Amino acid sequence: MKEVVKNSEALYDFLKKMIVETLKLEDISPDDIDIDTPLFREGLGLDSLDALELVVAIEKHFNVIIEDENVGKKAFESIRALANFIKEEYPQGV
Amino acid sequence: MRWVETEETVRFNEVDEWGMAWYGHYMAWFEVGRMALLRRFDLLPRHMVDLGYIAPVVSLTCDYKQSVGCGESIVIRTTAVKPEIAALICKFKIMLKDSKVLLARGETMQVLMTVDRKLVYRLSGEIEKRISSLLQFCQT
Repeated sequence: MKEVVKNSEALYDFLKKMIVETLKLEDISPDDIDIDTPLFREGLGLDSLDALELVVAIEKHFNVIIEDENVGKKAFESIRALANFIKEEYPQGV
Repeated sequence: MRWVETEETVRFNEVDEWGMAWYGHYMAWFEVGRMALLRRFDLLPRHMVDLGYIAPVVSLTCDYKQSVGCGESIVIRTTAVKPEIAALICKFKIMLKDSKVLLARGETMQVLMTVDRKLVYRLSGEIEKRISSLLQFCQT
């Protein structure tokens, strides 16, 4: 996973796929997601319960913890924002 | 899985025009069962508020198996499980007291929010301790 985190493009692709698979999105394929599209509401249309699922997936894949909605609001702004958040928080030396 | 049992009698104001317990009233019985379970672990709504949280229900299912009439005694069985996400699922069975015939089976999911309405993504501190005790009780 360390190699994926280092490579922005690979990380974007991984996150797109993770979102589609975790939330079992049927009408959206990973390639349809723009990295700057808002994940919630008017963008991809995710809701706060989807956020709970994503938090678990992110912790599982990256060992990165998103404590609450205050942190999540920024992290879940878009794929790009989420990738930046993971890069910053990814445990060193893993 | 361990269930907490609560007894109720179907009241006149709880039945519909056809003499059967009104379908919506089962939710009130679920609530009776939930309170009986959560009370044991100091997780009643007021306890949660004291800790700085509320726990709104975000989903509910109910399957009705058999009708019940006014004056009949029922038992509400309640237990809890935790999904992988930061939420609590309560499961309910409503049965006739004497024959144990199943009347309805249901489930609710609650999430945790801070009192200022921010969703909690991970359980921690005292609330986590109490919920862990509750889940341990239900699992044994």
